[in-house]
Amino acid sequence: MTIQEEEYSIIEECRRGTSEVYAVLVERYQEMIYNVAYRMIGDSEAARDIAQESFIAAYTSLRNFRHGSKFSTWLCSIVMNRCRDHLRSQKQMVPLDDISELVAKGPNPEVILSDKQTAKDLQAALRAMPEDYRQVIVLKHFEDLDYREMEAILGVSANALKVKTYRAREWLKKYIEKGHGQDE
Amino acid sequence: MNKDLLQLHRLLDGGLSPEDEKDILQKIEADPRLQREFDGLVSAVNLLESGERLSVDAAFSSEVMKRLPVRKEPLSTKIRGFFFGERVLRWNVASFVAVSAVLLVIIVSGLFYQSSGKSYRVADGVSPGTAVKTVSLSFNAPEAKAVSLAGDFNKWSIEAGAMKRKDDGTWTIAVPLKPGVYHYMFVVDGEGWVSDPQAESYRDDGFGNKNAILRIDSI
Repeated sequence: MTIQEEEYSIIEECRRGTSEVYAVLVERYQEMIYNVAYRMIGDSEAARDIAQESFIAAYTSLRNFRHGSKFSTWLCSIVMNRCRDHLRSQKQMVPLDDISELVAKGPNPEVILSDKQTAKDLQAALRAMPEDYRQVIVLKHFEDLDYREMEAILGVSANALKVKTYRAREWLKKYIEKGHGQDE
Repeated sequence: MNKDLLQLHRLLDGGLSPEDEKDILQKIEADPRLQREFDGLVSAVNLLESGERLSVDAAFSSEVMKRLPVRKEPLSTKIRGFFFGERVLRWNVASFVAVSAVLLVIIVSGLFYQSSGKSYRVADGVSPGTAVKTVSLSFNAPEAKAVSLAGDFNKWSIEAGAMKRKDDGTWTIAVPLKPGVYHYMFVVDGEGWVSDPQAESYRDDGFGNKNAILRIDSI
Protein backbone atom coordinates (compact mmCIF):
# COMPACT_ATOMS: atom_id res chain seq x y z
CA MET A 1 0.00 0.00 0.00
CA THR A 2 1.43 3.38 -1.00
CA ILE A 3 1.39 6.38 1.36
CA GLN A 4 -1.35 7.94 -0.78
CA GLU A 5 -3.50 4.80 -0.59
CA GLU A 6 -2.96 4.64 3.15
CA GLU A 7 -4.02 8.27 3.47
CA TYR A 8 -7.15 7.68 1.39
CA SER A 9 -8.08 4.83 3.68
CA ILE A 10 -7.51 7.02 6.77
CA ILE A 11 -9.68 9.73 5.23
CA GLU A 12 -12.43 7.19 4.53
CA GLU A 13 -12.34 6.06 8.16
CA CYS A 14 -12.56 9.68 9.33
CA ARG A 15 -15.52 10.25 7.04
CA ARG A 16 -17.19 7.25 8.66
CA GLY A 17 -16.69 8.87 12.06
CA THR A 18 -13.48 7.26 13.35
CA SER A 19 -11.61 10.43 14.22
CA GLU A 20 -8.75 8.73 16.15
CA VAL A 21 -6.95 7.72 12.95
CA TYR A 22 -6.68 11.38 11.93
CA ALA A 23 -3.77 11.63 14.41
CA VAL A 24 -1.63 9.74 11.86
CA LEU A 25 -2.10 12.54 9.34
CA VAL A 26 -1.58 15.27 11.95
CA GLU A 27 1.68 13.74 13.11
CA ARG A 28 2.86 13.17 9.55
CA TYR A 29 2.34 16.75 8.40
CA GLN A 30 2.44 18.88 11.56
CA GLU A 31 6.04 19.98 11.06
CA MET A 32 5.51 20.88 7.41
CA ILE A 33 2.35 22.88 8.09
CA TYR A 34 3.84 24.63 11.12
CA ASN A 35 6.95 25.62 9.17
CA VAL A 36 4.92 26.93 6.23
CA ALA A 37 2.82 29.02 8.60
CA TYR A 38 5.88 30.28 10.50
CA ARG A 39 7.76 31.31 7.36
CA MET A 40 4.65 33.02 6.03
CA ILE A 41 3.74 35.05 9.10
CA GLY A 42 6.96 35.13 11.15
CA ASP A 43 5.34 34.64 14.55
CA SER A 44 5.82 31.24 16.15
CA GLU A 45 2.79 31.41 18.46
CA ALA A 46 0.41 32.61 15.76
CA ALA A 47 1.89 30.06 13.34
CA ARG A 48 1.17 27.27 15.81
CA ASP A 49 -2.45 28.39 16.12
CA ILE A 50 -2.87 28.69 12.37
CA ALA A 51 -1.30 25.28 11.79
CA GLN A 52 -3.64 23.65 14.33
CA GLU A 53 -6.69 25.43 12.93
CA SER A 54 -5.70 24.27 9.44
CA PHE A 55 -5.74 20.63 10.57
CA ILE A 56 -9.14 21.11 12.18
CA ALA A 57 -10.50 22.89 9.08
CA ALA A 58 -9.20 20.06 6.89
CA TYR A 59 -10.89 17.48 9.12
CA THR A 60 -14.25 19.24 9.00
CA SER A 61 -13.99 19.52 5.19
CA LEU A 62 -12.87 15.95 4.55
CA ARG A 63 -16.02 15.21 2.58
CA ASN A 64 -14.72 17.72 -0.01
CA PHE A 65 -11.37 15.96 -0.36
CA ARG A 66 -11.07 14.29 -3.74
CA HIS A 67 -9.37 11.00 -4.36
CA GLY A 68 -6.62 11.60 -6.89
CA SER A 69 -5.38 14.64 -4.95
CA LYS A 70 -2.52 14.59 -2.44
CA PHE A 71 -3.64 15.22 1.13
CA SER A 72 -0.48 17.23 1.86
CA THR A 73 -1.16 19.51 -1.14
CA TRP A 74 -4.75 20.06 -0.06
CA LEU A 75 -3.65 20.75 3.51
CA CYS A 76 -0.99 23.17 2.29
CA SER A 77 -3.57 25.14 0.30
CA ILE A 78 -5.67 25.40 3.48
CA VAL A 79 -2.78 26.71 5.59
CA MET A 80 -1.77 29.15 2.84
CA ASN A 81 -5.30 30.56 2.72
CA ARG A 82 -5.31 30.96 6.50
CA CYS A 83 -1.93 32.71 6.45
CA ARG A 84 -3.20 35.08 3.77
CA ASP A 85 -6.24 35.90 5.89
CA HIS A 86 -4.04 36.43 8.95
CA LEU A 87 -1.64 38.72 7.10
CA ARG A 88 -4.48 40.75 5.69
CA SER A 89 -5.85 41.23 9.18
CA GLN A 90 -2.41 42.21 10.51
CA LYS A 91 -1.33 44.31 7.53
CA GLN A 92 2.30 43.30 8.01
CA MET A 93 3.45 43.83 4.44
CA VAL A 94 6.13 46.41 3.67
CA PRO A 95 5.08 48.44 0.60
CA LEU A 96 7.00 47.45 -2.53
CA ASP A 97 7.85 51.11 -3.17
CA ASP A 98 9.94 51.28 -0.02
CA ILE A 99 12.05 48.36 -1.15
CA SER A 100 12.44 49.71 -4.70
CA GLU A 101 13.70 52.98 -3.30
CA LEU A 102 16.35 51.23 -1.25
CA VAL A 103 17.39 49.03 -4.15
CA ALA A 104 17.77 52.06 -6.45
CA LYS A 105 20.67 53.35 -4.34
CA GLY A 106 22.98 50.76 -5.88
CA PRO A 107 24.12 47.17 -5.30
CA ASN A 108 26.72 46.01 -2.82
CA PRO A 109 27.53 42.43 -3.87
CA GLU A 110 30.28 42.00 -1.32
CA VAL A 111 27.86 41.78 1.54
CA ILE A 112 28.20 38.50 3.40
CA LEU A 113 25.82 37.62 6.15
CA SER A 114 27.25 36.44 9.43
CA ASP A 115 26.17 33.04 10.72
CA LYS A 116 24.91 34.43 14.00
CA GLN A 117 22.54 36.79 12.33
CA THR A 118 21.42 34.52 9.53
CA ALA A 119 18.23 33.25 11.12
CA LYS A 120 17.23 36.75 12.16
CA ASP A 121 18.12 38.13 8.74
CA LEU A 122 16.15 35.43 7.01
CA GLN A 123 12.99 36.19 8.95
CA ALA A 124 13.50 39.93 8.43
CA ALA A 125 13.89 39.39 4.69
CA LEU A 126 10.77 37.23 4.55
CA ARG A 127 8.82 39.78 6.56
CA ALA A 128 9.83 42.56 4.19
CA MET A 129 9.15 40.48 1.08
CA PRO A 130 5.84 41.02 -0.75
CA GLU A 131 3.34 38.33 0.22
CA ASP A 132 3.04 36.73 -3.22
CA TYR A 133 6.84 36.36 -3.44
CA ARG A 134 6.94 34.92 0.06
CA GLN A 135 4.39 32.25 -0.87
CA VAL A 136 6.45 30.90 -3.74
CA ILE A 137 9.73 31.15 -1.82
CA VAL A 138 8.31 29.23 1.14
CA LEU A 139 6.97 26.44 -1.03
CA LYS A 140 9.94 26.26 -3.40
CA HIS A 141 12.90 26.77 -1.10
CA PHE A 142 11.67 25.70 2.33
CA GLU A 143 9.34 22.87 1.37
CA ASP A 144 11.25 21.90 -1.77
CA LEU A 145 8.10 21.46 -3.83
CA ASP A 146 8.12 21.39 -7.62
CA TYR A 147 6.17 23.89 -9.68
CA ARG A 148 3.36 21.40 -10.41
CA GLU A 149 2.71 20.88 -6.70
CA MET A 150 2.84 24.63 -6.15
CA GLU A 151 0.29 25.04 -8.94
CA ALA A 152 -2.10 22.71 -7.11
CA ILE A 153 -1.64 24.61 -3.85
CA LEU A 154 -1.81 28.19 -5.07
CA GLY A 155 -4.16 27.73 -8.03
CA VAL A 156 -1.76 29.60 -10.34
CA SER A 157 -0.17 28.07 -13.46
CA ALA A 158 3.28 26.48 -13.06
CA ASN A 159 4.77 28.85 -15.65
CA ALA A 160 3.48 31.92 -13.83
CA LEU A 161 4.88 30.52 -10.58
CA LYS A 162 8.31 30.01 -12.16
CA VAL A 163 8.42 33.66 -13.20
CA LYS A 164 7.24 34.73 -9.76
CA THR A 165 9.94 32.62 -8.09
CA TYR A 166 12.61 34.14 -10.32
CA ARG A 167 11.41 37.64 -9.45
CA ALA A 168 11.29 36.77 -5.75
CA ARG A 169 14.93 35.63 -5.88
CA GLU A 170 15.90 38.85 -7.68
CA TRP A 171 14.08 40.80 -4.99
CA LEU A 172 15.96 38.95 -2.25
CA LYS A 173 19.30 39.39 -4.04
CA LYS A 174 18.78 43.15 -4.14
CA TYR A 175 17.63 43.14 -0.54
CA ILE A 176 20.88 41.44 0.52
CA GLU A 177 22.98 43.71 -1.69
CA LYS A 178 21.55 46.70 0.14
CA GLY A 179 22.98 45.29 3.35
CA HIS A 180 19.66 44.57 4.98
CA GLY A 181 19.94 42.11 7.78
CA GLN A 182 23.54 42.88 8.77
CA ASP A 183 22.69 45.44 11.36
CA GLU A 184 19.09 44.71 12.04
CA MET B 1 14.20 39.36 -17.66
CA ASN B 2 16.75 38.54 -20.38
CA LYS B 3 17.57 35.07 -21.64
CA ASP B 4 20.84 34.70 -19.72
CA LEU B 5 19.14 35.73 -16.48
CA LEU B 6 16.38 33.18 -17.07
CA GLN B 7 19.03 30.53 -17.62
CA LEU B 8 20.64 31.47 -14.27
CA HIS B 9 17.35 30.81 -12.50
CA ARG B 10 16.81 27.56 -14.38
CA LEU B 11 20.32 26.55 -13.35
CA LEU B 12 19.41 27.23 -9.71
CA ASP B 13 16.24 25.14 -10.16
CA GLY B 14 18.30 22.28 -11.64
CA GLY B 15 16.15 22.39 -14.76
CA LEU B 16 18.79 22.73 -17.49
CA SER B 17 20.00 20.09 -19.92
CA PRO B 18 23.75 19.26 -19.63
CA GLU B 19 24.44 21.25 -22.82
CA ASP B 20 22.56 24.34 -21.62
CA GLU B 21 24.19 24.07 -18.21
CA LYS B 22 27.66 23.95 -19.77
CA ASP B 23 26.77 26.90 -21.99
CA ILE B 24 25.56 29.16 -19.16
CA LEU B 25 28.50 28.22 -16.90
CA GLN B 26 30.89 29.27 -19.68
CA LYS B 27 29.01 32.56 -20.05
CA ILE B 28 29.20 33.19 -16.31
CA GLU B 29 32.94 32.64 -16.38
CA ALA B 30 33.44 34.97 -19.34
CA ASP B 31 31.14 37.81 -18.25
CA PRO B 32 31.90 39.57 -14.92
CA ARG B 33 28.44 41.19 -14.87
CA LEU B 34 26.76 37.80 -15.22
CA GLN B 35 29.14 36.36 -12.63
CA ARG B 36 28.08 39.10 -10.17
CA GLU B 37 24.43 38.43 -10.92
CA PHE B 38 24.89 34.71 -10.34
CA ASP B 39 26.82 35.23 -7.09
CA GLY B 40 24.02 37.49 -5.82
CA LEU B 41 21.39 34.88 -6.60
CA VAL B 42 23.45 32.14 -4.98
CA SER B 43 23.71 34.34 -1.84
CA ALA B 44 19.92 34.73 -1.86
CA VAL B 45 19.37 30.98 -2.20
CA ASN B 46 21.99 30.27 0.47
CA LEU B 47 20.22 32.60 2.85
CA LEU B 48 16.96 30.75 2.21
CA GLU B 49 18.54 27.34 2.60
CA SER B 50 20.25 28.36 5.83
CA GLY B 51 16.84 28.48 7.53
CA GLU B 52 16.56 25.74 10.11
CA ARG B 53 13.45 23.66 10.16
CA LEU B 54 11.42 24.29 13.30
CA SER B 55 10.06 21.35 15.20
CA VAL B 56 6.66 21.23 16.84
CA ASP B 57 6.16 20.46 20.50
CA ALA B 58 4.82 17.13 21.69
CA ALA B 59 1.42 18.57 22.62
CA PHE B 60 0.65 19.86 19.12
CA SER B 61 -0.98 16.71 17.81
CA SER B 62 -2.96 15.89 20.96
CA GLU B 63 -4.30 19.44 21.12
CA VAL B 64 -5.55 19.16 17.54
CA MET B 65 -7.19 15.82 18.27
CA LYS B 66 -8.94 17.25 21.34
CA ARG B 67 -10.31 20.15 19.33
CA LEU B 68 -11.76 18.02 16.51
CA PRO B 69 -15.52 18.37 16.29
CA VAL B 70 -17.43 15.31 17.39
CA ARG B 71 -18.95 13.75 14.34
CA LYS B 72 -22.48 12.46 14.60
CA GLU B 73 -22.34 8.71 14.45
CA PRO B 74 -23.74 7.55 11.10
CA LEU B 75 -27.01 5.62 11.25
CA SER B 76 -25.36 2.58 9.68
CA THR B 77 -22.83 2.43 12.53
CA LYS B 78 -25.59 2.74 15.10
CA ILE B 79 -27.54 -0.09 13.48
CA ARG B 80 -24.42 -2.24 13.25
CA GLY B 81 -23.70 -1.54 16.91
CA PHE B 82 -27.24 -2.39 17.89
CA PHE B 83 -27.22 -5.76 16.15
CA PHE B 84 -23.59 -6.82 16.53
CA GLY B 85 -22.49 -4.96 19.68
CA GLU B 86 -21.84 -7.20 22.68
CA ARG B 87 -24.41 -7.05 25.45
CA VAL B 88 -25.74 -9.17 28.27
CA LEU B 89 -29.39 -10.16 27.96
CA ARG B 90 -31.35 -11.27 31.00
CA TRP B 91 -34.38 -13.34 30.18
CA ASN B 92 -37.49 -14.26 32.07
CA VAL B 93 -40.78 -15.76 30.95
CA ALA B 94 -42.53 -12.39 30.58
CA SER B 95 -39.85 -10.98 28.26
CA PHE B 96 -39.84 -14.24 26.24
CA VAL B 97 -43.61 -13.98 25.72
CA ALA B 98 -43.33 -10.29 24.76
CA VAL B 99 -40.56 -10.91 22.19
CA SER B 100 -42.45 -13.89 20.75
CA ALA B 101 -45.56 -11.75 20.33
CA VAL B 102 -43.59 -9.03 18.52
CA LEU B 103 -41.94 -11.60 16.21
CA LEU B 104 -45.32 -13.12 15.46
CA VAL B 105 -46.74 -9.73 14.50
CA ILE B 106 -43.74 -9.03 12.25
CA ILE B 107 -44.01 -12.39 10.48
CA VAL B 108 -47.75 -12.07 9.97
CA SER B 109 -47.37 -8.50 8.70
CA GLY B 110 -44.69 -9.65 6.25
CA LEU B 111 -46.88 -12.44 4.92
CA PHE B 112 -49.80 -10.02 4.55
CA TYR B 113 -47.59 -7.49 2.78
CA GLN B 114 -46.32 -10.09 0.28
CA SER B 115 -49.79 -11.38 -0.43
CA SER B 116 -51.07 -7.87 -1.21
CA GLY B 117 -49.16 -8.09 -4.51
CA LYS B 118 -47.59 -4.68 -4.12
CA SER B 119 -44.09 -4.35 -5.63
CA TYR B 120 -41.45 -1.68 -5.60
CA ARG B 121 -39.05 -0.96 -8.36
CA VAL B 122 -35.78 0.15 -6.91
CA ALA B 123 -32.33 0.82 -8.20
CA ASP B 124 -29.67 -1.91 -8.14
CA GLY B 125 -27.94 -2.29 -4.81
CA VAL B 126 -30.65 -0.53 -2.83
CA SER B 127 -32.74 -2.54 -0.41
CA PRO B 128 -36.47 -2.70 -1.04
CA GLY B 129 -38.28 -0.30 1.22
CA THR B 130 -35.46 2.26 1.20
CA ALA B 131 -36.75 5.66 0.12
CA VAL B 132 -34.68 6.26 -2.96
CA LYS B 133 -35.13 8.86 -5.66
CA THR B 134 -33.62 8.56 -9.08
CA VAL B 135 -32.17 11.91 -10.02
CA SER B 136 -31.25 12.82 -13.59
CA LEU B 137 -28.38 15.23 -14.10
CA SER B 138 -27.19 16.66 -17.38
CA PHE B 139 -24.26 18.73 -18.54
CA ASN B 140 -23.69 20.30 -21.93
CA ALA B 141 -20.15 19.70 -23.23
CA PRO B 142 -20.21 18.96 -26.99
CA GLU B 143 -16.40 19.05 -27.25
CA ALA B 144 -15.77 16.61 -24.40
CA LYS B 145 -14.68 13.04 -25.04
CA ALA B 146 -15.90 11.82 -21.66
CA VAL B 147 -17.81 13.33 -18.77
CA SER B 148 -18.44 11.76 -15.41
CA LEU B 149 -20.31 12.67 -12.27
CA ALA B 150 -18.23 12.64 -9.07
CA GLY B 151 -19.59 13.41 -5.66
CA ASP B 152 -19.55 12.42 -2.04
CA PHE B 153 -22.20 9.79 -2.84
CA ASN B 154 -19.65 7.85 -4.96
CA LYS B 155 -16.53 8.84 -2.95
CA TRP B 156 -15.57 11.38 -5.64
CA SER B 157 -14.77 8.55 -8.01
CA ILE B 158 -14.15 9.66 -11.59
CA GLU B 159 -14.84 6.15 -12.93
CA ALA B 160 -18.03 5.33 -11.05
CA GLY B 161 -20.28 8.01 -12.55
CA ALA B 162 -19.60 7.80 -16.32
CA MET B 163 -22.23 9.86 -18.16
CA LYS B 164 -23.81 9.08 -21.55
CA ARG B 165 -23.55 11.47 -24.46
CA LYS B 166 -26.64 12.49 -26.42
CA ASP B 167 -26.58 13.67 -30.03
CA ASP B 168 -26.82 17.33 -29.06
CA GLY B 169 -23.62 17.14 -26.97
CA THR B 170 -25.45 16.90 -23.65
CA TRP B 171 -24.15 14.31 -21.18
CA THR B 172 -26.67 12.68 -18.87
CA ILE B 173 -26.77 10.29 -15.97
CA ALA B 174 -29.45 8.98 -13.61
CA VAL B 175 -28.37 8.24 -10.04
CA PRO B 176 -30.43 6.64 -7.27
CA LEU B 177 -30.01 8.65 -4.05
CA LYS B 178 -31.48 8.52 -0.60
CA PRO B 179 -32.80 11.74 0.94
CA GLY B 180 -29.96 14.02 2.02
CA VAL B 181 -27.63 16.76 0.92
CA TYR B 182 -24.89 15.84 -1.56
CA HIS B 183 -21.87 17.63 -3.04
CA TYR B 184 -20.89 16.91 -6.64
CA MET B 185 -19.02 18.11 -9.72
CA PHE B 186 -18.70 17.08 -13.34
CA VAL B 187 -15.31 15.79 -14.50
CA VAL B 188 -14.55 16.54 -18.12
CA ASP B 189 -12.07 14.24 -19.93
CA GLY B 190 -10.90 12.83 -16.62
CA GLU B 191 -9.23 16.00 -15.34
CA GLY B 192 -11.34 19.15 -15.60
CA TRP B 193 -13.53 19.60 -12.51
CA VAL B 194 -16.52 21.76 -13.40
CA SER B 195 -19.41 22.94 -11.24
CA ASP B 196 -22.93 22.23 -12.46
CA PRO B 197 -24.20 25.56 -13.85
CA GLN B 198 -27.75 24.42 -13.09
CA ALA B 199 -27.15 23.54 -9.43
CA GLU B 200 -29.47 25.03 -6.83
CA SER B 201 -26.55 26.15 -4.64
CA TYR B 202 -22.77 25.84 -4.29
CA ARG B 203 -20.14 25.49 -1.62
CA ASP B 204 -16.35 26.12 -1.67
CA ASP B 205 -14.43 22.89 -2.19
CA GLY B 206 -11.06 24.03 -0.80
CA PHE B 207 -9.47 23.76 -4.28
CA GLY B 208 -10.61 27.15 -5.54
CA ASN B 209 -13.79 25.77 -7.13
CA LYS B 210 -17.32 25.40 -5.89
CA ASN B 211 -19.06 22.09 -5.42
CA ALA B 212 -22.63 21.93 -6.60
CA ILE B 213 -25.14 21.04 -3.90
CA LEU B 214 -27.99 18.61 -4.49
CA ARG B 215 -30.78 18.21 -1.96
CA ILE B 216 -32.99 15.15 -2.03
CA ASP B 217 -36.08 15.55 0.09
CA SER B 218 -37.83 12.61 1.70
CA ILE B 219 -40.37 10.90 -0.53
